[in-house]
Amino acid sequence: MNAYDKVWRWKALVGILVLVLGLTVVFCTTIGPAPVGFVEVLTILLRKLPWLGDFVPRGDWPESYETIVFQMRLARVILAVLVGAGLAASGVVLQGLLQNPMADPYILGISSGAALGATVAMLFNIGSQVLGMYAVPLCAFLGGVITTFSVYNLSRTGNRVSMPTLLLAGIAMGALLSSVTSYVMIMGGRDIHQVVFWIMGGFSGRGWEHVRVLLPYVITGFVVIYFYAQKLNVILMGEEQAQHLGVDVERLKQIMLGAATLSAAAAVAVSGIIGFVGLIIPHAVRLLIGPDHRVLFPASALVGAIFLTLADALARVAAAPQEIPVGIITALCGGPFFIYLLRKRPYH
Amino acid sequence: MVVLKVHDIECAYGSAKVLNGLTFAIARGGFTGVIGPNGSGKSTVLRCISRVLKPVRGSVLLDEHNLYGLSTLETARKMAVVPQETAVNFSFTVEEVVLMGRSPYLGRFQAEGKKDYEIVARAMELTDTGYLADRLITAISGGERQKVIIARALAQEPEIILLDEPTSHLDINHQIEILNLLQRLNREAGLTVVSVFHDLNLAAQYCKDLILMQRGKIFSLGKPGAVLTAGIIKKVYGADVLVKKHPVTGRPTVMPLARVQPENKPRGRVHVVCGGGEGAAMLELLVEYGYEVTAGVINAGDIDWETAGLLGIETAEEVPFSLISNKSHAENIRLIKSADACIMVSIPFGRGNLKNLEALALARDWGKPVLVVEERDIGERDFTGGQAGLMYNELKKKGAVVFKDKHELLRRLKYLI
Repeated sequence: MNAYDKVWRWKALVGILVLVLGLTVVFCTTIGPAPVGFVEVLTILLRKLPWLGDFVPRGDWPESYETIVFQMRLARVILAVLVGAGLAASGVVLQGLLQNPMADPYILGISSGAALGATVAMLFNIGSQVLGMYAVPLCAFLGGVITTFSVYNLSRTGNRVSMPTLLLAGIAMGALLSSVTSYVMIMGGRDIHQVVFWIMGGFSGRGWEHVRVLLPYVITGFVVIYFYAQKLNVILMGEEQAQHLGVDVERLKQIMLGAATLSAAAAVAVSGIIGFVGLIIPHAVRLLIGPDHRVLFPASALVGAIFLTLADALARVAAAPQEIPVGIITALCGGPFFIYLLRKRPYH
Repeated sequence: MVVLKVHDIECAYGSAKVLNGLTFAIARGGFTGVIGPNGSGKSTVLRCISRVLKPVRGSVLLDEHNLYGLSTLETARKMAVVPQETAVNFSFTVEEVVLMGRSPYLGRFQAEGKKDYEIVARAMELTDTGYLADRLITAISGGERQKVIIARALAQEPEIILLDEPTSHLDINHQIEILNLLQRLNREAGLTVVSVFHDLNLAAQYCKDLILMQRGKIFSLGKPGAVLTAGIIKKVYGADVLVKKHPVTGRPTVMPLARVQPENKPRGRVHVVCGGGEGAAMLELLVEYGYEVTAGVINAGDIDWETAGLLGIETAEEVPFSLISNKSHAENIRLIKSADACIMVSIPFGRGNLKNLEALALARDWGKPVLVVEERDIGERDFTGGQAGLMYNELKKKGAVVFKDKHELLRRLKYLI
């Protein structure tokens, strides 16, 4: 195969996925009680684009449509995009680093740490006077990051981190923190419903401020991961071989774990614990396009974004006006699809 | 010119010292084998010179640069490493795996270019893996995978390639294929090869130099012929072996000798009358069984003579194609005198070796047991016009015991001494 063919195929694939994501965003923004159509949303969004927007003519829809799109719907859709992309990207990295296709962003204890942080914040109203609505995301973020950091340091001997130890330490820490969270919930008593809902994950009531919190982490994480994507391929050959192929393995691990942890912890902080996206999206995309991270990473992030955005739309309409936590949808749709893929292509 | 220079290194895993004071140099274009018993540190030597295990003392110089002062990237451009086995859980194609060999040359965000593909194609052609290019690395055999990993190593365009028992998990055909490949790369492309070997014979066949390790130190270093001797192997491995020259390549060939438990070891000194290759098997068996063996009279240069030499057997010998002289006859008789028993194998008799029958007749006169292997009738191997037959039958009359088979003889031997 020619080198340029390969790169062009990658670019075409990513281009198509970006387009699909765009259409998904527009489509999901149309969902809601007010009948704002696809073309109207598309036009409203295009008009907001710098430079290009000046050429798009305004249609004859009520002024309120723009308010509905921007103030009520778009933030939530964009948040789903970012969280989906962040979780899938983080999953790609951890599966690669741990050389284990069953790893996910939560395997190093981010979810249990974040859950504990969020639970404590909700039940004891910690910092809500000062931080307001940021109290829960901040505590969740800190919980996740501190947990992963401890897990990392627990598995470190001198300068080296053994990946199997990291995996086991993550699982042990996760179990420990989950039990602490359960205990806190039992003791906390009255607001338990709120905590359960948060733990299941979802975008209900989230807005632009959450997007602003998440965006820098996701962008930074993505740039860093993309920067090192080729090295991540090499590490799949085994750590010692990767070193012989010129990769500074320990440094790569630190950088990549850092990037994956920050993206995932930030995603969890704003949306709660949405399962399955970080596990099955990278896995499914790898089954379809192969394990080369230079295309696997951007493609997984985009597919994760598309998937979670659609899942959130479904969560909003499936039992309207009641909302279902999006985590239920992701597992419900993702599980069977994943099983289908496994049956269709035996995975090595 | 020296590519790799190791000076007085000491390596340890935690507090356990594994290498202690190693010094050696690898010349450009060399093909060096590292051998030694399990746990002697041979794989550690490789880890140390491949920048994985930093020595606590001493220096490793690659192209006169301190190896541990170079970056991972710089090292990977000069040195490639092939492990014993590569397990890959992710389904890359073979070509993608070989392309990873170009990793040390790629910039960030950069896909492999035309030049990289050309180098990879050449590496795959050299290793005869081109036909595998689009197959998955997870779906090929162990031997094929090892060739692919060697192709990947070549794609690094290294000056030196290090291998850790590269063929120990493979069948003989793949072993030979891979080692022939390395030998060709070494000879034609001038690639410097350093490999750990488990199999002494493969090491002897392919290496120009050997480093023999024992308990973290170099026991012996040099050409295979000098390093692989029965004495050295006995000292380092504690194993009894026979070292012969390979009939085609002239390299040393190591063969194990079955070891007899000391308590069952028969004691005694046996003299074997043989020649012309009839006695080689008997000599080896007797040594294996633990007897002290002498032989005579044998013409120098024949197979029995060579075998006796390899086994360190004291022999009464005669120059090739000559009658047994009085001098060698006397020597033969001296050896018979000090033996507890004499054995004669089914040798043919001509006028040249009739004196051997005379010597055995003397042995009977002195009351020594004489055991005769009669695999063929004396009539078939008497080329003296009947004289040998007469003497042979005379010997039987004097009480020589006849066996149809040498194993039968060996079973009885210990009761006769």
